[in-house]
Amino acid sequence: MKRRDMLIGAVSGAAGVAALTAATTHSAFAQAPAGAPAPGAGGTLDRIIKDKKIRVTAEVTSPPFGILDKDNQPDGSEIATSRQLAKDLGVELELVQVTAPQRIPALLAGRADVAISSLSITFDRAKTVMFAPPHGALSIVIAGAKNKQIRNAADLGGKKIGLTRATLEEATVPKMAPQGTNIVMFDDIAATMQAMVSGQVDAAGMSAFAAKSVADRNPKANLENKFTVTTAYYAAAVRPGDFDLLQFLRTWVFLNKNNGVLAGIYKKYTEVALVDLPVL
Amino acid sequence: MKYVFQFGIVRDHLPELLNGAWLTLRLSFGAFALGFVLAVVLAFLRGSGPRPVRLAVGGYVELVRNTPFLVQLFIIYFSLPELGIRMEATTAALIGMSLNFAGYATEILRSGIDAVPKPQIEAGHSLGFSRLEIFRHIIVFQALRTVYPALASQFVLLMLGSSIVAAISAEELTAVTNTLQSTTFRAFEFYFVATGMYLVMALGARAVLHAIYWVVFERGQPARGAWAR
Repeated sequence: MKRRDMLIGAVSGAAGVAALTAATTHSAFAQAPAGAPAPGAGGTLDRIIKDKKIRVTAEVTSPPFGILDKDNQPDGSEIATSRQLAKDLGVELELVQVTAPQRIPALLAGRADVAISSLSITFDRAKTVMFAPPHGALSIVIAGAKNKQIRNAADLGGKKIGLTRATLEEATVPKMAPQGTNIVMFDDIAATMQAMVSGQVDAAGMSAFAAKSVADRNPKANLENKFTVTTAYYAAAVRPGDFDLLQFLRTWVFLNKNNGVLAGIYKKYTEVALVDLPVL
Repeated sequence: MKYVFQFGIVRDHLPELLNGAWLTLRLSFGAFALGFVLAVVLAFLRGSGPRPVRLAVGGYVELVRNTPFLVQLFIIYFSLPELGIRMEATTAALIGMSLNFAGYATEILRSGIDAVPKPQIEAGHSLGFSRLEIFRHIIVFQALRTVYPALASQFVLLMLGSSIVAAISAEELTAVTNTLQSTTFRAFEFYFVATGMYLVMALGARAVLHAIYWVVFERGQPARGAWAR
C-alpha cells in the first residue's frame, strides 16, 4: 500500500511540474512574458525583431475595425493594419484578443507590444500610453430607433443611453448629456449593440461605422443616426518608454500613408475614403 | 517595469465602490431568498409530485446547471425583449441569479431529503400524514440541517458569481470597478481593492450563515447536525 501511494505521489508531482512548466513557457493565447523590458532600455523593438514575433491587441467585437469573419477568424481594418505592420517588420503576428476596456491594460501589462484597436487619441489616454501618428479617423454618433425623438444632446435627458466602457463615447457622451440621462454601461460594443436592438436602451453611443453595421444587419429595428457627438483620429499605442518602437511606428505610418496602403485598408473595410491624416 | 501605485485614486472613488458592493449584497441575499424558496418547492415536487411534474423539474434543474450563467443572463436581458418581456438590468440580474441558484439548490436539497432516514417517512405515512405534511414536519428540518454547509458554499458562489451580471450592465461591484479602472487607468489598484471587498463580503456572509445555523439548528436541539462542534 505504501509503495503504491508513493508511486501515485511521484506521478502526480511529475505531472504537476510538467503542467506548470508548460503553462508558464508557452500558451496558445499571448500571456505576459518574463516581464516587459524596463522603459528606456531600448529593448522592445530589438526583442520583437529577435523573437521574430510582434503581439498586437485585437478587439474583434468592434465592426468594421475588428470582427470575426465567417470562419471565426479575426478580420477588420485594424486587424488588417496589424498584419501590415507585422509584414513590414518582417515578423510573425500574434493577436491578443481583448475587449474595449482591456485594450490599454493589456498593453501596459505587457501582454501586447502595440495596441492597434481603434484607440482614439485623447488627453487621458496620452497620459498612460504613447501614441503613434494617427492612421485612421472615426466619428462617434448617438444612434437609436427612428421613432425616438433625439435631435441633440438636450434630448438625451430622461432616456436610457447605452455606452461601452473605456471607449471614446464613454469619455465624451456623459459630459454632454444633461442631468437625468440614464447612462447604462456595457463591457463590449457587441453587448451595447444588442441592448439597442432589443430596446433595452433608447439609444446608444458608438462609432458611426458600428452604428451603420448594426442598422444594416437589423433592418427591423429601424435604427438611424441621431447626431454626431465628436470626431477623432485613432492611432497605434505603445507603452511609455518604448521610444524605439514608437519611432518605427512613426516611420511606418509615414511610408504607408504616402504609398496609399493605409487608405486602401481603410476604404476596404469602412467603404469610406480616408481623410487627410495629420502628423503627430 | 516601474509602476507607481496610486491607491489615493481608489480612495477618492470609494463611495462608488461601496454603492456597487451594496448592490452586490442586495442581489446576493435577494437571489438567495427567492432561489431558496423556489428550490424548496421544486425539491418537494421532484420527490413527491406526479411524474410529468417530476420530469419538468428535473429538466429545469439540468438546463440551469449545464448552461453558462452568462448565457442565461443574456437570454433574460437581451432575448426576452423580443418576446415582449422587457426589464431593467438589475431586475434581470436578480431573476437570473435566483433561477440559477434555485437550480443548484434543488439538487442540494434533494440529496438532503434523500438522507432523511426512510423509517421516519414510513412512520409518517402510517400515522396518516399527507405527503405535504411529511415534507413539512419530518423532512425539511433534517434535510436542511444536513445540507446547510453545501447551501452556504453555494451562497458564497452565488455572491462571487454576481460579478457576471456586470455584462448586462447591472452596476454591482465588478461593473463599477471596471468602469473606474477604464477611466483612471489604475487597473491594479482598483481590482486589488475590489478583490479585498469581495473577500470581506464573502467571509462576512459565511459568519452570518454560521450564526443562523447555530440559532436555527443547534440551540435547543438535542441531535447533532452537520456543522456540530
